[in-house]
Amino acid sequence: MPAITSVVTAARFAQGFTYADFVAQAAVNQDKFVANGKTVPLGEQDVAFLRKAAAHPRGPAKMLALAEAWCGDVYRELPTAARIAEATGMELRVFLRDQNLDIMDEFLSNDGKSRAIPVFVFYTKEFEYLTHWTERSASAHAGLAAAMKEAKEKLSLPPSATFATLPDKDRQALLLELVARVRPFTDQWRRDAIQEISQLLANALSIPNAG
Amino acid sequence: MPVENKSTVTRPVVYTIRGCDSCVKLVKKFEAEGVDFEERRVELSQVTLEEARGYGSLVPIVVWPDGRVEQGFGDSIGCFI
Repeated sequence: MPAITSVVTAARFAQGFTYADFVAQAAVNQDKFVANGKTVPLGEQDVAFLRKAAAHPRGPAKMLALAEAWCGDVYRELPTAARIAEATGMELRVFLRDQNLDIMDEFLSNDGKSRAIPVFVFYTKEFEYLTHWTERSASAHAGLAAAMKEAKEKLSLPPSATFATLPDKDRQALLLELVARVRPFTDQWRRDAIQEISQLLANALSIPNAG
Repeated sequence: MPVENKSTVTRPVVYTIRGCDSCVKLVKKFEAEGVDFEERRVELSQVTLEEARGYGSLVPIVVWPDGRVEQGFGDSIGCFI
C-alpha cells in the first residue's frame, strides 16, 4: 500500500520518462518493447471501460510506472500501460526502479519483501492515489506455481524440493522444464493483466467493470 | 562475444543483472568463496544480453570452463531475460 504521505508529487511525476523516452534510453530490449507494443491484447470492451473510468469525476488521469528495461515482465506489460494511456488520455510517466527506490518502496509486494516490477500506479488529476497493479497477473502467478508442481512430478522430484535444496543437476532440469511449460501461456497472462487492471479501477471507483 | 572455446577458458563466466536478487546473491557467494570469475552484465548491452540468451532464459547464468551451463541460483528462479 502507498504511504499516507507519498513522495509522488506533481513535480516529481513530471520528472519521469515519457514512454517513448523510456524506450529510447533503454540499453536493452528496445526490440521487445516495439514488438510487444504491436500485440497489446486490448479489446474494444477494454477500451470502452477504461475510457469510462478515465472520464469519471474521480477517475485516473495519471499513471506512474516503475520499470527497468531488462526485466521480462516489464517488456511484456509496459507496452500495455502505454496503450491504455494512449487510448484513454491518461498521462503516463515511467520511472527507473533502481534510481527511484523511494517511490518503489511505497509499492512493495510479497508482504513488503519484494521490489517486483512493473508497477502501474493510478492517480486522479489531483494526485489522489486510486490503485496499483504489480508485476504479472494472478493467473500468471498461479500458472507458474502449477507448472512448478507439474515439472517436479515429471522429473520425479519431491513436492517439497526447492531451488535452494536441489542438487545443481536437478535444479537445471527443473528450470528447463518450468520455462518450457510457462512459455505457451504468456499471451493469455497479458490479457488477464488487462482484466485485473480494469477490475482494480472498477473497485476504486465503485463502478461496474464492463464496456 | 560468446564464451571462448572451452579449452582456452580458465574461469567461469557469470551473466548477471545487478537488479536481480538471485544474481546479486550468486556474485556475493562467489566473492565470499574467492571464486575467480568474469561477470558480464546483460542489462548494460544488447550484445551481452543476446549472448546470454544463447545459453538460457534466466539469469544468473554460469558458463563453467568445462562447458557446463547453470541457470538461476538459490531459492528463486532468477530473472527471465
